Amino acid sequence: MQRSMKYGVLMMLVLALCCTPSLFAQGSQDTADEYEIVTVVKITGIPWFNRLEEGVMQAEKELGINAYQIGPADADPAQQVKMVEDLISKGVDAICITPNDATALEPVFKKARDNGILILTHESPDQSGKDVDIELIDNVAFAKRTWDMLVEGMGTSGQYAVFVGGLTVPLHNVWVDEGLKYAQETYPDLDLVTSRIPCGEDQELSKQKTLELLKTYPDLKGIVGFGSLGPPGAAQALKEKGKAGAVTVVGTVIPGHAAPYLKDGSMTKGILWDPKDAGYSLSWVAKYMLDGGDFTTLTSIPGVGEVSVVGDVIKVNAMMDITKENADSFGF
Amino acid sequence: MRKLFQRHETYVLVIILLFSVIITSVNHNFLTLENALDLLKSYSFTGIMAIGVLFVLISGGIDISFAAVATIAEYVTVLIVLRIGGSMITAFAFAVLIGAALGAVNGLLIYRFKIPPIITTIATMNVYYGLLIVITRGKWIYALPDCFRSFAEIRVGSFGVQDGSAFGVSVVTIIWFLLLIAAAVLLRYTRLGRSIYAVGGDKISAERVGFRVGRVQVFVYAFMGTMAAIAGIVQALLVQTVAPNSIVGKELDVIAAVVLGGASLAGGVGTVFGTFLGVMLLAIVQNGMTLMKVSAVWYDVFVGLVVILSVGFSSYKQKKQQSSSKIDIRESAPSAGVSADTLQES
Repeated sequence: MQRSMKYGVLMMLVLALCCTPSLFAQGSQDTADEYEIVTVVKITGIPWFNRLEEGVMQAEKELGINAYQIGPADADPAQQVKMVEDLISKGVDAICITPNDATALEPVFKKARDNGILILTHESPDQSGKDVDIELIDNVAFAKRTWDMLVEGMGTSGQYAVFVGGLTVPLHNVWVDEGLKYAQETYPDLDLVTSRIPCGEDQELSKQKTLELLKTYPDLKGIVGFGSLGPPGAAQALKEKGKAGAVTVVGTVIPGHAAPYLKDGSMTKGILWDPKDAGYSLSWVAKYMLDGGDFTTLTSIPGVGEVSVVGDVIKVNAMMDITKENADSFGF
Repeated sequence: MRKLFQRHETYVLVIILLFSVIITSVNHNFLTLENALDLLKSYSFTGIMAIGVLFVLISGGIDISFAAVATIAEYVTVLIVLRIGGSMITAFAFAVLIGAALGAVNGLLIYRFKIPPIITTIATMNVYYGLLIVITRGKWIYALPDCFRSFAEIRVGSFGVQDGSAFGVSVVTIIWFLLLIAAAVLLRYTRLGRSIYAVGGDKISAERVGFRVGRVQVFVYAFMGTMAAIAGIVQALLVQTVAPNSIVGKELDVIAAVVLGGASLAGGVGTVFGTFLGVMLLAIVQNGMTLMKVSAVWYDVFVGLVVILSVGFSSYKQKKQQSSSKIDIRESAPSAGVSADTLQES
């Protein structure tokens, strides 16, 4: 008797559990006249993509669409593929995605487009299988600006190293390729000591790698960090070794996170764009295209700025320098 | 001497020495006190978690959720200290409380419902980590309490001044070493410690002999949670930023280090010293890559090869010993029988 009671309670619990997910569902009131535009980011729960989500939310409110953001718990290409597959079966109207790995996503992009779903990418200009890519910056100009910053700090000659978030992260590696090309032409005396190191998304690892670099290359004069945690990790290591300011640190950073390092001089300068603009632009362009608009004739995105279209890439110039003076004024 | 060569630790030590020689021959900066102390500081976080994993592995279980536990303990503790103030002692106390509680939940689930540990802890990892992300929305904490900043700078000893910076034994290294000693004493000299080996060696026999398997299991997972929580605080001290996603994903590195150190996934085997060596071997290989100017694309390849090499070498040796000892028994069967007889007589 007691035993069957126990089973009964357990069954009830299981049933209750099965019903709960729908309670937590977001924006799933699927009205036919509302576009469902989903943004898939590299990692969920980091400041960068939280800020991007603010843009998605703004688009939802202003454009009358059903827009929301999802992403894997770590920067895993396989999980992104799965998420896109799920969205295809769900039958959404458009998928805006920041790829972790450009090639891993190609097959599933094809499948999505065969199902009439728009694919918009971000931070992956050479992605094949997409409808359109949106870049908030001109990648070549961005890379050049970063290397100019490096030279402002360390001078036109000397040893330096480069961090990326991962060896398959499309954008970081595009910047490094462009930057190295630019450096070869303009600053031939710069000496890259070792190939790009994949640690830029992990502050502890960036710190450890910087310590190792300092021991291996005592004359190191600069570090370029892509991935928002590379420069802070490098700055921390320099502070610990009393070399703050002696080695130039530049790269992509979150202003709020970088502020203390910029102020104490262990980080030289940051470079970035506002991810919120990216979130908004993606959803805005998705709606524009779903309404039948042709992106090749697009000249501006309201609230974000003027755009130029090259092939199937829409470029907005929203590059900004982050210095110790302005780091606190961005609001993220 | 022969006994020494039967121990797994000896092989790990030999491989560490071998690597040190190779790395030093390329870059003499490797074998400096400064580099050693930097490594001991950076890897104290991995090392502390490894102690907990060692206990779980010895008891014949496995834990995947410890990184999530560490993150929660770190995040909640920092929030509490920011809100109500307090010192590092309050921080550690809260962290240990949270870690032990979350770990004990794992232990209870595993013991009460007899769910395989790997399933249980994968499930609790998802629940713990998921809840943290839901509640915090993944927000990072940049401004740590002041005590975290000042405590992290404590160091013992000051060895020379290089380029205007002194270096010494960091406080986090000291925490790690104290925990290593405590864990070694617990495992070797206490009844509880021996019962962990007994449960891991053969659960059913241990139960028949009279060990309370349930208590041991709950203790082991609670201990894992405690170590994870302390490691979480150490991580906050090292990085000076708390990010909900900075620890999750490092579970396999830690487990690999413990197995490198001689613990068996089948349970019943493993030592604290071996675990320390395992962590250091991983640290030295990763450190050595950059110091030897190896291109970053090769990092993972080398780390994988070292794991295969060192674990493979020692288990091959063990296998050889086992097969040769079998022959020994057969050849000396009469004398073995005699000794058995004498045993019975006495």
